[in-house]
Amino acid sequence: MEKPVTRDPGFYVMVAIGLAVMFIAPVMLDLFTIMQITQYVVLSVFALSLGYIWGFGGILSFGQAAFFGLGAYTFAVASINMGSTTIPMVLAFIIPTIFGAALGYFMFYGRLSDVYLGVVTLVVALIFWKLINHTAGPEYAIGEARLGGFNGIPSIPTLHIPGDPGAWLDPGQMFQVFMGFLIVVYVALRFLIASDFGRVSVGIRENETRASLLGYDVRKQKVIVFAIGGGIAGVAGAMWATYQAFIDPNSVSMEMSAKALVWVMAGGVGTLVGPIIGCILLQWLTLQLGTVDVVNSIAVLGAIMMVLVLALPKGIVPTTQSLLLGGYILWKRNHGSAMPGKAVKE
Amino acid sequence: MSEHILSTCGLTMRFGGVTAVDNVDFNLRDGELRCLLGPNGAGKSTFFKCLTGQLTPTEGKVTFSGQDITGALTHDIVKKGVGIKTQVPNVFDGITAYENVRLSARRKHLKPMAKELTMKTLERCGITHLAKREVGLLSHGQRQLVELAMVLAGEPKLILLDEPAAGMTGDERDRLAQLVLESARSAAVVVVEHDMAFIRQIAKFVTVFNRGAIFREAMIDDIMQDREVQEIYLGKQANAA
Repeated sequence: MEKPVTRDPGFYVMVAIGLAVMFIAPVMLDLFTIMQITQYVVLSVFALSLGYIWGFGGILSFGQAAFFGLGAYTFAVASINMGSTTIPMVLAFIIPTIFGAALGYFMFYGRLSDVYLGVVTLVVALIFWKLINHTAGPEYAIGEARLGGFNGIPSIPTLHIPGDPGAWLDPGQMFQVFMGFLIVVYVALRFLIASDFGRVSVGIRENETRASLLGYDVRKQKVIVFAIGGGIAGVAGAMWATYQAFIDPNSVSMEMSAKALVWVMAGGVGTLVGPIIGCILLQWLTLQLGTVDVVNSIAVLGAIMMVLVLALPKGIVPTTQSLLLGGYILWKRNHGSAMPGKAVKE
Repeated sequence: MSEHILSTCGLTMRFGGVTAVDNVDFNLRDGELRCLLGPNGAGKSTFFKCLTGQLTPTEGKVTFSGQDITGALTHDIVKKGVGIKTQVPNVFDGITAYENVRLSARRKHLKPMAKELTMKTLERCGITHLAKREVGLLSHGQRQLVELAMVLAGEPKLILLDEPAAGMTGDERDRLAQLVLESARSAAVVVVEHDMAFIRQIAKFVTVFNRGAIFREAMIDDIMQDREVQEIYLGKQANAA
């Protein structure tokens, strides 16, 4: 019997941790560190987008960066033209969602199997990447925003208070707002997954044939899940664009898609905390390895990835959960036998 | 025609050069309990798949409740009131038995009703004690019961059961026979089964498939005494019984 979200203590713990970090970190940490963690927060939202569609909809996308990049470019172009960041942020959710729904329609109503789904998503991201790389000339402009090709788009406006374009957020405030985004996305996904819609998605992940034999339209369900995932990735892209004040085709690259896959896999498919932890851990590791000149950081990451997959095939979070649970049961058993009187009383 | 809840006309399914279902005219009255016999590879499961839209028949027509459902999408056919238990159980392995059945009940009912129906169906199938267990960890017979509960919770007008007794213990099988007879009071039921003891418990009118076509249709006692049927399929089992 599935526990409702509101009765799961883990949910409150996670939200509490999130809120604590949101309010305490800017006070405790120096500016450089804050800016550093902001990056993790943004990428965690991106990781959640894939963690959701893969872990709770059974859709393995090899091109999640397509949505990340689409959101980033949407935000960049819209905010440069509008001089404000509020509506562009909304657009960065809506446009990738629509694109996700359209792409999903062709993939799922066309009954593509898992492998081809992976190939199509991968190729879509590649096409995006190619396309944007070829927009270097001045003729490629949308309104006042030049797409800039491989040079990217510079001077993307910093996030400001809605309705007041002059009131830019300083890095500390931006961190807090982004933490807020992350918490909202996490909470919304938790409730979505616990809803009937979410339970049907999980059913589809477990067994598509049975889901349709119960009378559920698997195709429609998958399109919606895929579109939601795309929208969340788009918001992450917009956050990335405004955080860096700059965006280039790397945001749509295969590396970006692959990273998301690795984070989710390492953290644990089928959880929401897993992708966040996987993202933070591996991004931090990449950063640390980057400071060492002796070894190639990518090679080391690859090795770590292999060890993780072999040693913790379910991912960090599920493995830790089952270890803790096993430990608790053992402890309870030993504890119980030490005090038989109490057991009898109950 | 209207008294038939299900009828197929010239139903044919070919895979390349193999004709798995060959020109089948099958009629089922509303509320009827029919057993489908036939050796392995006779086309029984393929026939079921054509009925539920998992396969689109090469030729022929399927009519359910007076509506043409040939080549319709699985979920649309199911919504019209067809429930199927597949040969290899199709269940949601990673979630609990309760959730499995609830997902079936929830499609037609509001939350409180779905919950009630789920508990009732679990009890009917004698698996209330398994409600909180993950279905992937259950035995084959138990998974069969979970799948049956999912089918029943959908409250179908036509129930198709493909080898429901496989992997069940004697007790489970007896309960299943009871359930099938009980369900047949409110719905039409078609059962594919090899287990003769089980068939004898439930069968009245029987259709025998062979090589994709209907070989015989008769009452169970006549079928059991039919030399040719024994030859193609029943063999020693029938003599022993």
